[in-house]
Amino acid sequence: MSRMLIPVVVLVALVAFAIFGDRPQPRADLTFINSSEVNTLDPQRMSWMHDLRTARLLFEGLVKNDVLSDDFTIVPGVAESWELSEDARTYTFHIRTDAKWSNGKPVTAHDFVFSWRRAMLPDLVSDYVAMFMNIEGAQAFYDWRQQQLDAFVDQDFEDEDQQRDAAFALWELTKSTFDEMVGLEAIDDRTLIVTLERPVPYFMELCAFTVFAPVYEPLVAQYERPDPITARLVRRPGWTKGGVLISNGPFELTSWRFKRDMRMEQNPHYWDRDSIAIRSVSIPSISDPNAGVLAYQTGSIDWISDVTSPYRGDMVAQKLQFLEEHKERVEELRALGYDQFSITRMLPQDPRAHTHAVSSFGTYFYNFNTKPRLPDGRENPFADARVRRAFAMCIDKPAIAREIRRLGEPSAHTLIPPGSIGGYTSPKGLPNIGDAANEEERQAIIARSKALLEEANFPDDFVVDLAFNKDAGHDLIAQAIAKSWQKSLGVQTSLSQKEIKIFREDLKNKQYMTARAGWFGDYGDPTTFLDINHSKDGNNDRAYNNPIYDQLLADAADELDPLKRMTLLSEAERIIMEEDLPMVPIFHYATIYMFDAHKLTGLSTHPRTKQNAFLIDMLGDGVGPDQPRPMNPEKIKAPQQTAQGATP
Amino acid sequence: MMTMILRRLAALPFILLIIYTITLTLAWAVPGNPLENPEKRPKPEVIEQMKKQYNLDSFPRFYVSYLSSATGFEYAKDWISGDLQRERIASEQAGFPPPARPVFDLGPSLEYDDWTVNEIVGGALPVSITLGAAAILIALVIGVGAGVIGAVKPNSISDLFTLTIAMIGISLPSFVIGTALLLVFAVLVPLFPVGGWGGPTKAILPAVTLSLPFAAYIARLTRMGMIEALGTDYVRTARAKGASERAVLYKHALKNAFLPVLSFLGPATALAMTGSFVIEQVFTIPGMGQHFVNGVQNKDLFLIMGVVLIFATMLILFNLVVDVLYRWVDPRIS
Repeated sequence: MSRMLIPVVVLVALVAFAIFGDRPQPRADLTFINSSEVNTLDPQRMSWMHDLRTARLLFEGLVKNDVLSDDFTIVPGVAESWELSEDARTYTFHIRTDAKWSNGKPVTAHDFVFSWRRAMLPDLVSDYVAMFMNIEGAQAFYDWRQQQLDAFVDQDFEDEDQQRDAAFALWELTKSTFDEMVGLEAIDDRTLIVTLERPVPYFMELCAFTVFAPVYEPLVAQYERPDPITARLVRRPGWTKGGVLISNGPFELTSWRFKRDMRMEQNPHYWDRDSIAIRSVSIPSISDPNAGVLAYQTGSIDWISDVTSPYRGDMVAQKLQFLEEHKERVEELRALGYDQFSITRMLPQDPRAHTHAVSSFGTYFYNFNTKPRLPDGRENPFADARVRRAFAMCIDKPAIAREIRRLGEPSAHTLIPPGSIGGYTSPKGLPNIGDAANEEERQAIIARSKALLEEANFPDDFVVDLAFNKDAGHDLIAQAIAKSWQKSLGVQTSLSQKEIKIFREDLKNKQYMTARAGWFGDYGDPTTFLDINHSKDGNNDRAYNNPIYDQLLADAADELDPLKRMTLLSEAERIIMEEDLPMVPIFHYATIYMFDAHKLTGLSTHPRTKQNAFLIDMLGDGVGPDQPRPMNPEKIKAPQQTAQGATP
Repeated sequence: MMTMILRRLAALPFILLIIYTITLTLAWAVPGNPLENPEKRPKPEVIEQMKKQYNLDSFPRFYVSYLSSATGFEYAKDWISGDLQRERIASEQAGFPPPARPVFDLGPSLEYDDWTVNEIVGGALPVSITLGAAAILIALVIGVGAGVIGAVKPNSISDLFTLTIAMIGISLPSFVIGTALLLVFAVLVPLFPVGGWGGPTKAILPAVTLSLPFAAYIARLTRMGMIEALGTDYVRTARAKGASERAVLYKHALKNAFLPVLSFLGPATALAMTGSFVIEQVFTIPGMGQHFVNGVQNKDLFLIMGVVLIFATMLILFNLVVDVLYRWVDPRIS
């Protein structure tokens, strides 16, 4: 038996060594969690909202949004000033002298040329490559490079050495071609000139978008090389890891352990470091929604940036009840101009108050496949706009928001959340059975819808299919919509639940009849939503094609007067939301946060849901000014003292 | 014994090849496109090129290329032929970084842009091995202890008690036990943190949860083995010659009763060490189990193949180690 003990003892020793050797780090000033693991920290390749949110801690672009203002004012970042030429096509940015990388080297205009070139290459598959196509010559350059790569693959080479040399040579040629073709030029270290294809009124918004942030060339170039066989520039992961990444934002990355945690410390070379009120940030990976809430409740997390636990509807209901109990005070504070977080801070401490529902820059909708034929070859009744209008009116949207989502989300009549973009007026949208004031009105809408179906010769025994992916309660919403349609229009329905990857593939190939979808805006302009219905857009899953709509978007793109431009875009949205209905908006998303407003400040309540987490100050921790940071402080009518006085 | 080990090791590549072939065929047949990004999608021509680059456009090409790079064959070939050195020199001359060439290259993760499968496995495997080993140790202590108690007085109260606990351990799913332990020992009585990894306090609850089904099984095996052994002639002889009850139990009976436990330990250790999706979810542990599930869900071919190959290798090796131990403990077996 004693022989048996030897391996056991060895095993015990090893386990003890492994467990005790893995010491946790001290708690960071700010610990928050994202809803899932960060996909990439390479700014040019990002598209996920939590990737962008995390990257804003590490990287700083030419400019940034003041997220604590209602109009999301553009404020200086790496650029201390900029000028726009008279024809509104050429921007000249002046880089500040004290903008530094985390290794102390200055940030230069050349860094931006290098970084933006990365995004404009077909090689690296940037999700937001389209945004860069506003720059003069970018599209031509992209096409040229693609063509060269295609030709390269078809070419015959004597041996591998020759092929490799050719691939390397093509890369040199690409770099010089870029300089010739694309309207992007670093005059000197501190001056960047960007020439656009045509005036883009929201170009500064794009510059504030993290995909336009610079990366450090001497580092990144170490990880990218032309593939000797395909000549494509291939990237090797590695430079986005802790201790390796060199960034220019408020923080530097000290460690990133996959699906475990990420940690950042203040960047000692950041030019605006005095405004930062937290010294370190930790982002543990907690993918289980319940585990996240538990971790918050036991105090190891300061902020959950997206609560997705199934009982979050109850949490929101409790918060509403809490607000109801303090109704008078809430209304008084709201009248003074305080935002919802500040109001919660000025109410008594209560665990229910830690839940915050914030309206989001996104919309949940159902797609109609508008192709003339269905995937199975039958004629598609949804190719007729009248049918789509009828179906759109007969969804009880408020009931879905109220009874299924239960997050206080507004039902949607437009694709763009109203009020989220300054200077833009949303169209009214179609009437909806859920909004009818009384039964009579409701029956009138149903009758109108049925008449439309009649007009369009909607086939009698047609079964309407609703496709959705299997998570996050989409099944309940699909059931509710199907029931609405059965009850009011008397049609038969079927439900198709699919795996997410298959669902996406089906959407892209238009292998569906109606299907759920959602869209979040990327920048503060209506085009961020409207472009997805352009007949040529890669995200036009509906195969929607209306030349008038396309023309309105084109006219808006050419319109120099901002007011007229917004009117054109508003008309475009009216067409899709009142006449053509390639999609039915159901509700505008809300995001659920969890944090203690008495302890944490600096988050924005703006419906664009863009958080600059480096603005966060943990109140009472002795680091930073420890003062509340409300939205639009200049608009608050009461003196600031009220806000501070109420903080325990 | 040496020939046995060599024979088993020689069989390893063939078993792995069969597993590789079956898994890849199945994974390939799963519908959905691994390059499809849930939010925004690259242009079709770019997807085509990426497919070409990763050999995702042809099953036979992918089959061969992945096999040869994962097994280190590709590396060895290029090293011997001098291609590796030539490529490095050519890159340096042209001012490019040398190509990244790990010996065993499990490929890039298609889902997680910033990570290779080697890095993912390199981070997750040590965590899973540690947690699994800790769980097996706990299972051994609890299981053998409970089994011996039960066997000494079969059908007594204490036997019934341990048997009941064992039944619960086997039948209750770990997300129930895990969540219950979390609620009691982390939320109600905050003795342990609610999740994460690093340091002993974070390891205890998940290790206990993971160990329970194994402990229950070991307890039943030990109990049966002990009851059988206690009725044998040599135990009666040992008692007759005046050996203490303690010596009879632990020196004579347990030694034989332990053999079935030992053979169970091989696959059990491999199973415990390759991670449990459920326990990793409940306790937020960065282990291997989630990559099995997520890899398949995301159709991340490289990740699926990487974790499957590693799991298969571990399973085969642990069985071999157990067989070696078996012979070492009991020299009668040849």
